[in-house]
Amino acid sequence: MSWAWFHRFASPPWVYGFATRWTPWFGGAALLVMLWALYGGLILAPPDYQQKDAFRIVYIHAPSATLSMAVYATMALAAAVGLIWRMKVAHAVAAACAPIGAWFTVATLGTGMLWGKPMWGAYWVWDPRLTSELVLLFLYFGYMGLRAGIEDPQKADKASAMLAIVGVVNLPIIHYSVTWWNSLHQKPTRLLGEADMVWAMVWPLLLMFLAFFLFFAAVVLIRLRAELLRRERSASWIREVLK
Amino acid sequence: MSEFLSMGGYGKYLWPSFVLGIGIVALNFWMALGSLSKAKQEARRRLEMLS
Repeated sequence: MSWAWFHRFASPPWVYGFATRWTPWFGGAALLVMLWALYGGLILAPPDYQQKDAFRIVYIHAPSATLSMAVYATMALAAAVGLIWRMKVAHAVAAACAPIGAWFTVATLGTGMLWGKPMWGAYWVWDPRLTSELVLLFLYFGYMGLRAGIEDPQKADKASAMLAIVGVVNLPIIHYSVTWWNSLHQKPTRLLGEADMVWAMVWPLLLMFLAFFLFFAAVVLIRLRAELLRRERSASWIREVLK
Repeated sequence: MSEFLSMGGYGKYLWPSFVLGIGIVALNFWMALGSLSKAKQEARRRLEMLS
């Protein structure tokens, strides 16, 4: 198997060009799919038999929650690649992921609180799922704070990468918290096969998941370009791309 | 229309959720573009100083 494709991702100018080319495609697709999902979720999907129309919060909450964890996993993987192969671009990817993941963790907690009030009678309870998601937010803050606090970029890359990798332990805790402990939060919902929801509710949710991931791809590529410009400083290729 | 906005009485929870979620999506896009624009300006300034 040829690893030439992998080596290309170690080249900052190649990655910058790749990011510039693909951002509009991911961004445009995210917008279209999100509008379609919103129409399906808010207008076409029937109300839930128990939660009535409040269930529609799932169309924002579940994709935000999935993205908050997926972005962290991406960040930790990129940080590990950066540490193991000393790949500068990988550290730049990890740094680009952090603010996006933190914002989607805020969206998860905020929309969860707004769902919790009518369903549980409280905006916040120290439930294992909610608490572990809050810990995820602190991990993102810690990662960004550590990067900002260390002046030497190489030292900042190494220290923040270690924190990102150690923090991965929180991801299975978030995912399995509803089965390991007694939790107010509902158990995982099956969307395919013997699904727990009717298809009219499921397809807008699947589309919203797709829209959020496409959006993440677009935004992380924009942030990655900014990171590369800051890191490469006086590299000759920067003169070319800024023409 | 008012029936749609009230969402069976859950509108006061549902609409803020959508505003928060979509707002964070828009804010992320806007902040990423701002970060790229700032990085480009800094890079141009650096290159001007070098030349």
